Amino acid sequence: MVTDETFFAWLDGELHGDEATKVSAEVAADPALAAKAEQHRAMQQRLKSVFDTVSNAPVPERLSALRPEPEVIDLAQARGARSRRWSRGFPQWTAIAATLAVGILVGTMVPHRGGAPVTVAGGKVYAAGALDRGLTTQLASAPSGHVRIGLTFRDQAGEICRTFTAPAMSGLGCRDGDRWQLRGMFAAPEGQAGSYRMAAGMDPNLAAMVGSEMAGEPLDAAGEKAARDKGWR
Amino acid sequence: MTVPSSFDKDLAALLPRLRRFAHALSHSPADADDLTQATAERALRSKAQWQPGTSLDSWACRIMRNLWIDTVRSRSRRERVEAPAEEAERIGEDSAMDAKLELARMMAAMSRLPDEQREVVALILVEGFGYRETAEMLGVPIGTVSSRLVRGRVALLQMVGE
Repeated sequence: MVTDETFFAWLDGELHGDEATKVSAEVAADPALAAKAEQHRAMQQRLKSVFDTVSNAPVPERLSALRPEPEVIDLAQARGARSRRWSRGFPQWTAIAATLAVGILVGTMVPHRGGAPVTVAGGKVYAAGALDRGLTTQLASAPSGHVRIGLTFRDQAGEICRTFTAPAMSGLGCRDGDRWQLRGMFAAPEGQAGSYRMAAGMDPNLAAMVGSEMAGEPLDAAGEKAARDKGWR
Repeated sequence: MTVPSSFDKDLAALLPRLRRFAHALSHSPADADDLTQATAERALRSKAQWQPGTSLDSWACRIMRNLWIDTVRSRSRRERVEAPAEEAERIGEDSAMDAKLELARMMAAMSRLPDEQREVVALILVEGFGYRETAEMLGVPIGTVSSRLVRGRVALLQMVGE
């Protein structure tokens, strides 16, 4: 007498060789067993066809909106890259100087539809115009406009920080009072100007910056929305 | 626009299938789509953990299953067990062959299976994974998968069989 486990393993095509042949013979010789096989085959077919109506239906918009997706980075790798870079002996100020140089360039790189994207106050660079609006209002899960948000997280001091991608550049803005202080801006590699760098992943310099500033995990979609509703406090 | 990387494209192509698996696990279509969205978001965030060359299907299904288990555990037992039964009776009175009702009825029946039986039925009978792959995904011995599947499908046949 074949056990249930063996019988169903046979029915599911999990048995091979002699084992399968043996069960096939038993089922062929036993009308009750044959009927049971038929019943379960029919049930499985029905189960499959019912749930196939889901996979054959179009994906609802809120799910298909996930593509193209916001940038995703490997923080462990970014942290590794950062330490490797420092260990090669590049002083940190080189990176800062490069960042500032890019910041100055940015004014000419970003379409001026919403005015200049940066403003300088008290020696700090802040987001302005479309970039400020993007950082304040956009959710990573619902990208629109010229500024796309990547990660939202809290830094070591507890301030909300957000990575963004705009045409020809990406960067990191962190809350400073009611404004977004830009802690870094990086030009898109040559040939990618004008495109969003989502699919290509995060700029390694930006990823390294995120890796060093972030405390804990990035906010998920619900956390991001809740933070926005609270004014990024 | 840039061309999305192969991972993103493959994941997007998997969405219909992930929705199917979510419906087999979940209590309602709305829950299923929430689960699908959470899974896609988690998969995108965990992209770096996926090893190219391994099956993206089972990786994504494992993420979904783990998220589902988290939700199930945080819910009250009453909500999980009693509500679907009620729904099944109400729908059972309607003999319409409409696909949505049939889906609702099947989801209600699946919801009445114990979680550990429902997940193996969903993975093997709906998604077509093998016993071994399922055992690896769930981190249990293959014999456990096989016996849960027997109990699950026998109970399901009693609920939905003509």
